[in-house]
Amino acid sequence: MHIPDGYLGPATCGFFYLVMLPIWTIASRIVKKTLKTRQVPMLAIGAAFSFVIMMFNLPIPGGSTGHAVGGVLVAILLGPWAACIAITVALVIQALLFGDGGITAIGANCFNMAFVLPFAGYYVYRAVSYKAPAGSNRRVVAAGVAGYIGINVAAVLAGVEFGLQPLLHHTSIGQALYCPYGLKVAVFTMAGEHLLIFGWVEVIVTALVVKYLLKQSPELIEEREAG
Amino acid sequence: MFKNNNFIERSILGALSFLKDSIFADEYALKSGFLQSLDPRVKSITFLFLIIQVLLAKSLFILAVLYVFCLLIVRLSNIRLGFFLKRTWIFMPLFSLFIAIPALFSFFTPGQALVTLHTGLLEIIITRQGLFVATLFISRVITSVSFIILLSLTTRHFELLRVLRIFKVPQIFVMTLGMCYRYIFLFVQVIENTYLGIKSRIGRGIHYKKGRDIVSWNIALLWQRSLKLNEEVYNAMLSRGYNGEPVLINKFKTTYKDWVWVCFFSGISFWALYTIYGRSHF
Repeated sequence: MHIPDGYLGPATCGFFYLVMLPIWTIASRIVKKTLKTRQVPMLAIGAAFSFVIMMFNLPIPGGSTGHAVGGVLVAILLGPWAACIAITVALVIQALLFGDGGITAIGANCFNMAFVLPFAGYYVYRAVSYKAPAGSNRRVVAAGVAGYIGINVAAVLAGVEFGLQPLLHHTSIGQALYCPYGLKVAVFTMAGEHLLIFGWVEVIVTALVVKYLLKQSPELIEEREAG
Repeated sequence: MFKNNNFIERSILGALSFLKDSIFADEYALKSGFLQSLDPRVKSITFLFLIIQVLLAKSLFILAVLYVFCLLIVRLSNIRLGFFLKRTWIFMPLFSLFIAIPALFSFFTPGQALVTLHTGLLEIIITRQGLFVATLFISRVITSVSFIILLSLTTRHFELLRVLRIFKVPQIFVMTLGMCYRYIFLFVQVIENTYLGIKSRIGRGIHYKKGRDIVSWNIALLWQRSLKLNEEVYNAMLSRGYNGEPVLINKFKTTYKDWVWVCFFSGISFWALYTIYGRSHF
């Protein structure tokens, strides 16, 4: 889902930087206010954690592999605003040091994966697990549903961003200058592969990690929810 | 059945190649070369402008000139061309090449037929417009990726992250970036050791369902370990004088080489912008 440089035109890149600027500002203010000084390294750990989760390749029947984003998981564990900062940091490191995801597309990538994905997933989790008792299986189901919805909403948005490019940026005779596929193809492809494959990878990772933590260290999730 | 997926080995290999890449990257950044001798601030700003120019370019010629310019400074910076091409082409551009292939054909990009292939009942047409769209797309991706990788290869990673301060990035982001970078190395080590431990106990053959459980348990375990680490790191920060506000030491210094680079960069930028927007705009 990482959008590299060259897929989105300058107007789209600029637009998403403008959209993300107030979100980053609000996120840093909220996190500075709510995060205790003692918890500061947790942000960095959350970012490294999200980065590393993307390195865990899961086997898919048929021999292929896929990876999770972990955005919803970090949001459940740290809260959505802290997750926004943590995933932004992970995406910046990936773009700047490893060329995975573009510099000009950081705004769009962060909007999809550091804002929409954790927020959508987090609130779905809160809604589905509402008043669920500690250690309840409903929390595990809620985490899975949240992971699936979060990653799919983000993927559809990325598809819309790709699909708008031929309409926004083209030559005088209509040739696409950036991503060459229209809305139908781009949204269908992005939604299809995430609904069928990567969405399920996210479900497995989010649900099983929450299940394990509820069993081994339930305080990690309950403290966060109480706070 | 999927008993021999070897996903554990694949993950270990992924982690190892990540580590190796990072070590190599610092190796090049420590070498003596043109880009290595520049002030990271000047280098980062000029590279950002170069990437923006790649984004704005609408012709293959401009992209080709910018790509050749990139390869030229690769050589001036004592980086092996073979290594650089392998590093830049292997991941994102190759993936983009795969994405761009359908755009060659008339069902995605209608236009003037360039090549017509007859396969039984089906007639596949590669259009001139399709070829332009796909080539422009790939050229833009490879040129952008090349500039980013070159910046990352020739600048020490900590310096590159510190440069973000000049872009007025809030301190909480810069501090988190610096710390996160260290944690990634530590986490990769933890994963490597854990997988090695699992492999030595269960051997090669593992059902993919069991494999999923192991991966998920490891992610959860990593989070538990991280929490323990948090306490230790915070105490280490306190013992080094941390009082809630991070202090960043700025050792950057500009030299005559930076001005030579700025002149060089300005020349190519002026030419590119002049060509992109045409004479009428100047």
